Amino acid sequence: MPTRVNIGRLLLQGLLWFYFLISVYPLIWMVSYSLKNNDEIFVTNPFGLPFHFRIENYIHAWSQFSIPRYFVNSLVVSTISTAGILILAVMFSYAIARMVWKLRETARLYMIIGMFIPLQVIMVPLAILVRNLHLANTYGALIVPYIAFGLPFSSLVFYGFMRSIPVELEESACIDGASIYKTFFRIIVPIVLPAIATIAIFQYLGAWNEFLLAYILISDEALKTLPLGLLFFQGQYSTDWGGMGAVMTIASLPMVIIFMFFSDQVERAMTVGAAVKG
Amino acid sequence: MRNYFGNKRAIAAFALPALLLYTLVVAYPVAQSLYRSFFDWDGLGAGTFTGLSNYVKLIDDPLLLTSLKNGGIFALVLVVFQIGLGTVLALACADAKIKGRKILKVGYFIPVVLSVTVVCQLWIAIYDPTNGLINRLFQMLGIPYQQNWLSSPTVSIIAIAFVNAWQYMGYQFSLLYAGVKSIPEQYMEAAIIDGCTKWAAHRKITIPLMVETYKFCFIVAITSGIGAFVQMLIITNGGPGTTNFTLTFMIFRYAFNEFEYGYACAVAVFLVALSLLATVIINRLFERERITY
Repeated sequence: MPTRVNIGRLLLQGLLWFYFLISVYPLIWMVSYSLKNNDEIFVTNPFGLPFHFRIENYIHAWSQFSIPRYFVNSLVVSTISTAGILILAVMFSYAIARMVWKLRETARLYMIIGMFIPLQVIMVPLAILVRNLHLANTYGALIVPYIAFGLPFSSLVFYGFMRSIPVELEESACIDGASIYKTFFRIIVPIVLPAIATIAIFQYLGAWNEFLLAYILISDEALKTLPLGLLFFQGQYSTDWGGMGAVMTIASLPMVIIFMFFSDQVERAMTVGAAVKG
Repeated sequence: MRNYFGNKRAIAAFALPALLLYTLVVAYPVAQSLYRSFFDWDGLGAGTFTGLSNYVKLIDDPLLLTSLKNGGIFALVLVVFQIGLGTVLALACADAKIKGRKILKVGYFIPVVLSVTVVCQLWIAIYDPTNGLINRLFQMLGIPYQQNWLSSPTVSIIAIAFVNAWQYMGYQFSLLYAGVKSIPEQYMEAAIIDGCTKWAAHRKITIPLMVETYKFCFIVAITSGIGAFVQMLIITNGGPGTTNFTLTFMIFRYAFNEFEYGYACAVAVFLVALSLLATVIINRLFERERITY
């Protein structure tokens, strides 16, 4: 009996690590071919680690292509969008979690619906709206929609968090003569900080990787974000696998590093999303 | 306190910016899509009201059938791979005596945080008929099987769906894993004391208790199948020909290539209706299965 149990566990362990390999090996393969030349990729050493690291692929990718440009665009768009989402969502959720007004339940439901609206149904009118607002081919063309789409989910998470804060804190602040704004900034915001951090990582990741809207709304080469810019290399440099690999690795590195440091928060943010929606 | 929290000016200052932006960028375009789906409209002028004719046209559109079929296959691949295999992995990983759980979880989740462009381009390389990882692997193992993964009309849709399944496996896995973990261990212990094997106990107890988790996982998998687009766009641009078209591809092509905005809006409305219908059906199916202990 005990040996059978061990074999079962061994099989499970094997399965888990086998899928680990399927999940991770393509990425290792990508990083290692980014350090090889075509001869090594195609003929002499397709699977293993590079014999010697060809850093020049990276130097070439960084200096020849518009990678720095795309990188800066992604940085600007993601940072401003995330900041915008956080500010607006924290304020809005305070209004629906604490303030007393007639339409607050309506406002909350109205916002929740947004989580269930697929991008596809908005895509066409949004493209026209962006054109009519003269936002086409500016950073605003991405930042404004990213903020709006980030609001429903973030507001709901903050709402849940704020409802769990005892109202006595604000009552005593009120008695001590603090204005509602002061209470909000000095008491509520610091308490909500952990949720803000989780949502910030989540939204930053989302904005950094967003593709569909960027593809529709941005055509100006100078404004392309990384996911969009990378598409351009596909046709242009498809024969230079090493260079392609380097470009892809550079684009992925920031998010992988953030994930390595904050893996728990990222996963929590994701599962919170499931709980809120379900 | 009523006055304090009922401060009208403060409420407006807190709530209005978000509400206005959301209305302008999310709610208004949704209404626009619905309204414009009854028009013959090129996106510029006022357009002409044509009633249901866009929807009638949609039913006759040969691309609709292709798109629905591809959406279905896409959803099926996601369900089988992410939810099927994901469940096995989540149950295995939740076993108390498994080693290296932290590393496993991180490894499963890494593809989720990558850009979809990077993942698609990586898989274009993996599927490459001469130099790609898969065909090379077959060669190395002496298996005389080679496949033109992306240009075969039958295989390519599955190959493309697999890219999505692979990338977001970690997401479904972490949902399922959290679901498994949320079930009190006493249930399992009691079943095992009663002589149940571990897998039978999982089948009879753990999985039925995870209804809520499964409901959400199925909704995510099936609605992403119906709405699939980006992978097709990047990997084969909807081809070969129009074989890899999906509903979103139709919206995209009619609006931005042929400037039939009204018709594109009708397709979008149809897509949303289909997603809602799928969500309602999944909810109903799982409602009936609900078990409370």
